[in-house]
Amino acid sequence: MIEFQRVTKRYSAHNIALSDVNLSIAKGEFVFLAGPSGAGKSTLLKMIAAIERPSSGTLTVNGQDIGKLKSSGLPYLRRNLGLILQQQRLLADRNVLANVMLPLVVSGATSQDAEKRARAALDKVGMLDKAGDEPLSLSGGEQQRVAIARAIVNRPQVILADEPTANLDRANAKKVLDALQAFHGVGVTCIVSTHDEPDTANRVIHLERGRVLESAAVHASLEESA
Amino acid sequence: MMTLLRQHGFAFGRALRQLLRARSGFLLNTFVVAIALALPFAGLNLLENLRPLSEQLSVEPEISIFMTPDAPREQAAALAANIRKIAGEVKGNASVEFIPREKALNALQARSGLGDVVATLGANPLPDSYVLKLAGLRKLDEAAHVETLAAKLKSLPGVDNVQVDSTWIKRLAALLNILQLALLFLGLTLGVVVVVVVFNTIRLQVLTQREEIEVSRLVGATDAFICRPFYYSGALLGLCAGAVALGAVALALVPMNDAIADFAHLYASEFQLAPLGPVASLILLALSATLGLLGALFSVRRHLARLN
Repeated sequence: MIEFQRVTKRYSAHNIALSDVNLSIAKGEFVFLAGPSGAGKSTLLKMIAAIERPSSGTLTVNGQDIGKLKSSGLPYLRRNLGLILQQQRLLADRNVLANVMLPLVVSGATSQDAEKRARAALDKVGMLDKAGDEPLSLSGGEQQRVAIARAIVNRPQVILADEPTANLDRANAKKVLDALQAFHGVGVTCIVSTHDEPDTANRVIHLERGRVLESAAVHASLEESA
Repeated sequence: MMTLLRQHGFAFGRALRQLLRARSGFLLNTFVVAIALALPFAGLNLLENLRPLSEQLSVEPEISIFMTPDAPREQAAALAANIRKIAGEVKGNASVEFIPREKALNALQARSGLGDVVATLGANPLPDSYVLKLAGLRKLDEAAHVETLAAKLKSLPGVDNVQVDSTWIKRLAALLNILQLALLFLGLTLGVVVVVVVFNTIRLQVLTQREEIEVSRLVGATDAFICRPFYYSGALLGLCAGAVALGAVALALVPMNDAIADFAHLYASEFQLAPLGPVASLILLALSATLGLLGALFSVRRHLARLN
């Protein structure tokens, strides 16, 4: 589904964000991208969403070569992706419900259908009672769950989450991760970056200085060491 | 098709909300654009009123054909057929009147009050002549061709001199042409001003909505979806400014017509400046909206490219 083949991302001669990355993520996987700040996690996610393009190598997402994808094709690629950023980027000039409706509106859904599906998405993340609130009146954890609702409202095939729990307390972080796990449970591919070592049975891809150090299931390595 | 209509509806709603949100800025911009539009609108209104007036003017150039003093009366009389033939080449009704030298002398004595002086001349110094009147010329251009006609008449045998009183016609035609060109130039210049004002207004909108644009792109919005509200904003700004400009010109006609009425009464005329008709007004409103749309188009293309 997502295939990196010798992908390098170079911003300048001395600023190489990703270097010769080979990686494959299958449909329905839940993958953590782990590593310190500056390891290239965000760049890797941005490249999957075609926010950044490879300097060299080949990256394919759902069979589409991101390096060759025309700008006119970007919206249709992104409608199959759910993006959750560290900064939620909720629009302050409209309420929670309108924020979640946005991906549906840009896809051409009717306002009735968009509202119905947005309410369902908010319900899934436990935020339906805040539908009429302004985003700035919510806590960080609540804003992040609204961002998740916005990411999943279009029923994407892939969810890309860039450090979604970075600014949250333990309880809120757990709620966010539980929500992501729930979508994974219905077949959605989830790729989540974190600078902490994830305590999980899912696959973890370690990155450092733009290189993939290790790509294996944590539980498998734990079993081997035992 | 329904999706496209729905998205246009959404874009129009977004544009309206944006205008209402920043209504003081919108009103100010509308006022600025309206001032720029009002000048050419007023000029056009004036021309539209003057055009039928100039067309209604009875353009009747008179051509005086003077025979040589020694031309016999028979030769002069025989020229009438030739003059009519040449006059027939010009549209309209031509009338030819022969004025014998005796009649001309009598008229001179009667009109000028120089009867005593004329009596001292002894012999009649005036030649036989013809007065050719070209009635019913509706277009100034046609009347202006009279010069060519005069040249032909002058080449007739026995003709000494031909005088044409069409100078004023040419001056009027030239003046109207200058007015039309000036109006065109003014319209083009102020049209550019409108585009620039809308360009800058939309630039500010793009900058203030930068976050929304970026988020919309991340969730799969096409460029067309992002641009449409700005296009509607530009067109609405142009449309509203056009309406204000038309209203201002119509209002300005009231005091102007009072002044014109006083002047026109001196010439026993009821001439008044009328506001532009509904078709012309609709065309100008569409033109204003198009100028606004153009400004928005240039601005969005330029500034969205920078956000990429």
